[in-house]
Order: sequence, then C-alpha cells, then structure tokens
Amino acid sequence: MTRKKVKLAYIPNDSARKATFKKRKKGLMKKVSELSTLCGIEACAIIFSPYDAQPEIWPSPMGVQRVLSQFKKMPEMEQSKKMVNQDSFLRQRIAKANEQLKRQRKDNREKEITQVMFQGLTAGKVLQGLNMLDLNDLGWIVDQNLKEISKRIVMLSKGGGSSSSATTVQYSSSQEETTAPVSASQGEKCSGFEQMGMEAMQKQQWFVDLMNPQDNNMGGFGGEEVMFPFGDGGSTHSSLWSNPFYP
Amino acid sequence: MTRKNKGRQKVEMVKMPNESNLQVTFSKRRSGLFKKASELCTLCGAEVAIIVFSPGKKVFSFGHPCVESVVERFLTRNPPQISGTMQLIEAHRNASVRELNMQLTQVLNQLEVEKKRGEELNQMRKASQAQCWWEAPIEELNLPQLEQLKMSLEELKKSVGKQAEKILIQNSNPPPQFFPGSSSNGGINLPFDHHAKNNTGFNPNMMPHGYNNNPGFGRGFY
Repeated sequence: MTRKKVKLAYIPNDSARKATFKKRKKGLMKKVSELSTLCGIEACAIIFSPYDAQPEIWPSPMGVQRVLSQFKKMPEMEQSKKMVNQDSFLRQRIAKANEQLKRQRKDNREKEITQVMFQGLTAGKVLQGLNMLDLNDLGWIVDQNLKEISKRIVMLSKGGGSSSSATTVQYSSSQEETTAPVSASQGEKCSGFEQMGMEAMQKQQWFVDLMNPQDNNMGGFGGEEVMFPFGDGGSTHSSLWSNPFYP
Repeated sequence: MTRKNKGRQKVEMVKMPNESNLQVTFSKRRSGLFKKASELCTLCGAEVAIIVFSPGKKVFSFGHPCVESVVERFLTRNPPQISGTMQLIEAHRNASVRELNMQLTQVLNQLEVEKKRGEELNQMRKASQAQCWWEAPIEELNLPQLEQLKMSLEELKKSVGKQAEKILIQNSNPPPQFFPGSSSNGGINLPFDHHAKNNTGFNPNMMPHGYNNNPGFGRGFY
C-alpha cells in the first residue's frame, strides 16, 4: 500500500513514471481479470505505453478480438451510451464528489446545530452569538425534536409498558378501531401470540395490519407522514420555522 | 470477523453465487476499474481502452484519448499518426484533463476535511452523552425525562424566537449608533460582531448577516 498520497498529475520523473506504469498496469490487468471472473462477464483491456510500440492486452489476442467484435455488433447508441473518456469520466467523478460533499456538509451542519441546541438548554447565553441563519436552523431543529418527543410521549403514555413493545400496543388498539365484528375476538388474541388456535382468516387479518400500521390513533400526529429529520419527509406546516435544509 | 463489507478480506476467485451481490460487485468494481485506468493515463501518459459487458448485457467502456482511437490503433497495428493538427487537439485535450484532475483533487480534499469534521462531531456527541442524559437518543429516555426535556426545549424555542425578533428589529433600524458606555454584550448587538462572540465552535465560514438579512427563512444552505 502507498505510504503517501499520489498527486493526480503526470509524473515528471522518468524512472518513477516507468516504475509506476509497470506496477499499475499489472494491477489494472489483475482487476479486469477479477471483475470478469467474479461477475461472469466478458471484458478486455488494451494498454499502449510510451515505452513499447506493442500494446499490453487482456485476456489474450483472441479474447480481445472476440470482445471487440461483440462490441462492434452492438448498435451505435448502445456502444456510446456508457462510453466515457478522461474528460467525461472525470466530470462524472467531480459531480459525484460534489454531491457527497454537499451531503456531508449538511450532516455536519445538523450535528453542529444540535450541539448548539443542547448547549442552549443549559447556557442560554449562547443564543446571542448566533446570526439569523443559525437561529433559523436552531429553531427548526428544536421543532423537530419537540415533534419526536411528543410522539414518543404519546406512545409511552398509551402503552404504559416498555418502549419496545409499543408497536404491539399500537396494533391492538388499531384492531379495535377498524373491523368491528372481528375486533372482539381479535382483541383477545392480540395479547397472546402463543395462542395457536387462531382462525386462519383472523391470522391473515392480523398479519395484514402488522404490515400496514395504522397510526391514525396517535393523537395529534395522525395523517403526518413518517418524520425524517433533515430528510425529504419533513413536513413543515405545523412548525413555525420553514425547513432550512430543503427550501 | 463481522464486517459490513468484504473489504480487506480475501475473496474467492469464482463467479459469485448470489445474484444481487454479483450486481453490486459488478457496479462497484467496474467503477473502480475505470478509476484505476483513468489514473494510469494521467500519471503515466498511457493510452488505454477497456470494454466491459455487464451481467445485464449492457456495455461499459473507458478510453483515453477515446475508445475508438485506441481500438483502431490496436486493430491496424499502425504506429499512431501524429499530424500537426492531431498534436494540437491532443494538447488541448490534455490541458482540459489536467484542469479536471485538479478540480477533482480539490473536491476530494474538501470532502475529506468534512468527513473528519463529522467524525469529530460524533466523538463530541458521544462524550457529552456520557455526562448529559438529555443528549441521549430520544428512544432511550423514559417518560419523566421526556416531559422535562420537552419543557426545556419549549423554553428554548421561545428564547430563540425572542433573539430572532431582536435581530430583526435591530436590522430594520437606521445604522447602529455607537452608544458610549454600552458593554460589549449588553445592549445592542452590532451586526458583523457575531463572530467575535461566537465561541460555540461553529462553522466560521458562515457569512455574517448584517443588513442583508432576509426574513424569509426558507433558504437551503451552501
């Protein structure tokens, strides 16, 4: 493995360049071979170096010819659809990296603001060092947390049991609300999965409800989609602050 | 060894048994292969063509200067024709590639910086969680804790609103007067002063908002 990072530019030193070429060419051939074997696909590689008129190839002259003719048989459009050169390939990489950068910055921002929030709970003075952007984001995240906490409080208050079994509690109450005739018997069955004497149909009904949790009995949060803090699901109609992360 | 992925682990060189894993592997390794090819071209000035058929029979190819020219050169077994025009085109192309590589390097470096920052923030959160129960994830809190936290947050929300109001009022006023005798933090908070007081370890790259404050808060950031 490399001890230090290699600069992404033409290596000016002749011998260093030649050595690098040898190593990397070997590595590249190995990688093509592995890709072909692991995924059971056809592939070929042709490498022209400044040191040799003859190209280095993989898998073999015959193999390359075979892949090339297979390639040429394909319609022009199919050939060029996923074809890249240095220019287009690098642009793709840059775009991808920029996306990752944006995401990472957003995440970091969220973490920082959350930190400020916690600081604000104990030392209100921190608010004075914040500008409008910060206050906006802070307000938003306080809202998000309040939402989650309220949801959680409702869940716990209803269940009165341990937090992990809250879902079980939820289903039994939704059972009572939906299907009237079956509900009575199902209400009994809810409390005991161990009761193997379940009617097949009732079992099915139970299973269906398990797959589609109805949370319209959860206090003031009915109708709201599942909340993704800082994600794409953030509904803001009930909060004071508009979403700073996704305008 | 329990790992999320097989990195740094030996992989058997046979066709992968699991269909979806195979797909994922193809995707990742093809991408990595092209990356290596690109680097070889940049670092050593090689001319390369790689053609790969996907499990779904689509074809992916990478070529420098382009797939066609390398394939041609291979098939015709002729030494490359270097005309004057060709050289010019080549020079332009290389200059552009140089630019792009620099740009890429820059973005990757920035990404690394942010990732480190992220790690740092994670560590900080972990450390403070040990001290402050309210910083734990909400699922870990019990009912009385939740109620208390809720109240504190509601208080905080009010304070935030007040502070925001304060700033808005300041900014809609005529240019700030310098009141003699006012303490550095007491009365009026002058715009552009925020950084001086900002000791929350915040992002110092943020532009201070003076009179450009837009009360319409719904902007994205960066």
